[in-house]
Amino acid sequence: MIEIGRVCLKIAGRDGGKKAVVVDILDNNYVVIAGETRKRKCNVNHLEFLNKTVKIKKGASDAELEKALKSEGIILRKTKPKKAGPRPLRQHKARPMVKPETVARKKKTKEAKPETGPETIAKPETKTEPGADTKTLNQKEKAKTGKPAAKAAKKAVNS
Amino acid sequence: MVAPRFRSRTFRRIKVKTPGNRNTIHYRLRKPAKAQCGKCGRPLQGVARARPIQLRRFSRSQKRPERPFGGVLCSSCTRDELRARAK
Repeated sequence: MIEIGRVCLKIAGRDGGKKAVVVDILDNNYVVIAGETRKRKCNVNHLEFLNKTVKIKKGASDAELEKALKSEGIILRKTKPKKAGPRPLRQHKARPMVKPETVARKKKTKEAKPETGPETIAKPETKTEPGADTKTLNQKEKAKTGKPAAKAAKKAVNS
Repeated sequence: MVAPRFRSRTFRRIKVKTPGNRNTIHYRLRKPAKAQCGKCGRPLQGVARARPIQLRRFSRSQKRPERPFGGVLCSSCTRDELRARAK
């Protein structure tokens, strides 16, 4: 039942329910499959072998597989080849090390602070002054007019 | 005296040793029941068991298995189901 070109159904894992073809046989338990799943090594227990076969040679290329699988209505899932060159991690590390941006930002903040500083300080002063004046005025008014007048009126009533 | 709502067993009790070396009882809401297979009723494995608020902290893959019918059917029932659908 297990042979190269045998159509099978993957039962277990995240590829469950997807059809594939046996491309290579590794040993009694493991097989390499390709098809709707990624091209991968797979345990035989995780596969359901179907009654269909496809004519494929061992280690067939993607183009050959695609042609053969069309007859079964299986679309081959292709994996992108790995890019040659330096690893992307190193590129990420290099980004935050860019100096001119950070220096420029710091300068801006330093310059901006003294400009805005006196204004912000000045505002509360102006605000507090009228407030203080009004308070003092009110107190004075009360001291002069309000309270003594009321007291006098009460005294008059009592007497 | 304990607050009236803590006298029933709706809350589970957790013994906590305080920094002052005193044993106290803390009350927390109980965990929900274990998830079960929709077909055979067996308790499911790999399904997080916590209050909805705590479940929000988990990622999607931490809550249930990452396969078709994950968190709904048990592994053997999914195999049967997938076989049946392929035919």
